[in-house]
Amino acid sequence: MSMASLPSTQSDPRAAKQRRSLKSHERRIGFAFALPSLIAFVAVILIPFLQSLKLSFYRYTIEMDTPRFVGLSNFRKLLSNPDTLSIWLNTLTFVVLTTSITLVLGLAWAVVLNQSFRGKAFLRALSLLPWVLPSTVTAFLAAWIFNGQYGILNAILLQLGVITEPVPWLAEAHSAMAAVVLTRVWVSVPLFMAFFLAGLQGVSQDQMDAARVDGCENIGVFRYVVLPHLAPTIIIVTILGAMSNLQAFDVIYALTQGGPVKATTMLSIEVYKQAFQNWDVGSACTIGVLWFLTIAIPSIFYLRILFKREN
Amino acid sequence: MLLLNNWRARTGFMTLLLVIGGFLFLPIVWMLLTSIKPEGEVFVRIPTILPHAPTLENYRALFSHSETAMQLCNSLITAGGGALLTVALSTYAAYSFAKFRYFGRKPLMFLMLSAQMFPFAMLLISVYPMLQWADLLNTRVGLIVAYIILALPSGTYMLYSYFINIPNEIIEAARVDGASEVYILHRIVLPLAIPAMVTVGLYSFMWAWNDLLFSLTLITSPELRTVGPGLLLSYLGEGRANWGGAMAESIVISLPVVLGFAFLQRYFIKGLTAGAVKS
Repeated sequence: MSMASLPSTQSDPRAAKQRRSLKSHERRIGFAFALPSLIAFVAVILIPFLQSLKLSFYRYTIEMDTPRFVGLSNFRKLLSNPDTLSIWLNTLTFVVLTTSITLVLGLAWAVVLNQSFRGKAFLRALSLLPWVLPSTVTAFLAAWIFNGQYGILNAILLQLGVITEPVPWLAEAHSAMAAVVLTRVWVSVPLFMAFFLAGLQGVSQDQMDAARVDGCENIGVFRYVVLPHLAPTIIIVTILGAMSNLQAFDVIYALTQGGPVKATTMLSIEVYKQAFQNWDVGSACTIGVLWFLTIAIPSIFYLRILFKREN
Repeated sequence: MLLLNNWRARTGFMTLLLVIGGFLFLPIVWMLLTSIKPEGEVFVRIPTILPHAPTLENYRALFSHSETAMQLCNSLITAGGGALLTVALSTYAAYSFAKFRYFGRKPLMFLMLSAQMFPFAMLLISVYPMLQWADLLNTRVGLIVAYIILALPSGTYMLYSYFINIPNEIIEAARVDGASEVYILHRIVLPLAIPAMVTVGLYSFMWAWNDLLFSLTLITSPELRTVGPGLLLSYLGEGRANWGGAMAESIVISLPVVLGFAFLQRYFIKGLTAGAVKS
């Protein structure tokens, strides 16, 4: 790009030589700008990652001074442990439910906030709140709402006559998972909404008018004009959402610590517990590999999209 | 845009507005109301919505011991430090990736972006002994260094998307005038990129402020604890938790990020979505 925008200097060999050295000087400076960031990246991200990959082939527990190479033994143990499958399925359930519910609510909320009405700008800004709050705060708020004794959810349902006895939501497997999913949905709706709102700005008014002339009502306009326009945004938001839900740790850990028993234990929780509570680093890294491979699936689609855009 | 010219469309619209709005905002209202209720009104099976005798007692209790103030201070230092470091590193890298041509530039950028698929807890397992080795475990500096992990890749990409849209002609013109590369970046390009840098700064500040995992793992001294673990560890495991106090502390520790967003959200939404939505 920079080469094309400069006048040609081919006729003058001395100037050409000067330009070449200028180019290489420019390249060196350019690389130097990236260097601090690359060093930081290698030091705190790449090397730790490779190191943890390596440790998945080692046995390394609290009572050992140095890791001992055990080959695939950790992986064999992992695959023969029935908990592994249930943790992986927990993760999958959590990610699929959270991402899809957030997608629907985020899109609907973006459509609502795309209308013009009084107080819209204020409402848009306010809508970011759930996303901005610290995850521990969110978890405490959820724990308070779902509280089995004094929680407002039980109070409302009791008043409405839906239930006759208070339900200990966080103490039962299915309802605990539902609570974790809903809490995470609550956190992510604002972000999805922001992306969709940005996407909605680009929908052509002419096309919508044309669809209306053809007899479409709101639903039809949404289905045939808005949705196709948003398709690329929906894809990337779904992928990014799935990636971040796969990484999710804070809210889940602060809300249920993975319990009751292991009902809300995701890969993230299990790695943390193995590594920093049981200090069984080898096993933790082995589960980490499974976790990494799971995140890699949406990540590859994400990187492909970015790659296509850059080329 | 929807056309709300008939009764059915208006009802549908209002239903969406109320249901999703209620879902998003009522919990926050409940948090505020609980925080100003006296203890006797919190622990009842069917509570009243508004407090009979609103009180600021929970907030007074919060600041009567110094823990909360100390944790706020720790979070301010570590999240602020992490954000500054992230902005500095990602700005130079993004400018380099966007405006220079050298061998390996694209692969390096994609390698960095691919880091978003490395599980955080898995990185921490090996960051932990590294910080221990450098004598930075259980220090604020160590936590700041670890916070780079959170937003360096995505911050670099956000700034990259921004720099790409700054015309090359501006840079070329300065080069023809004999300006040095360092001068061009600092005096010509950076002033144009301030909105994007604010976005990345706020983004990484928020990640670090809201963090639980890193701080829980890398900090063990109570006097260095940040707000996330602070809240968790002071109210968790009590048989009958002090919910009013927990809600008051929740509100107090949320205020810094909430205020940050209140002032900067305009920049923020633009910067954040620029990279992901095709223009």
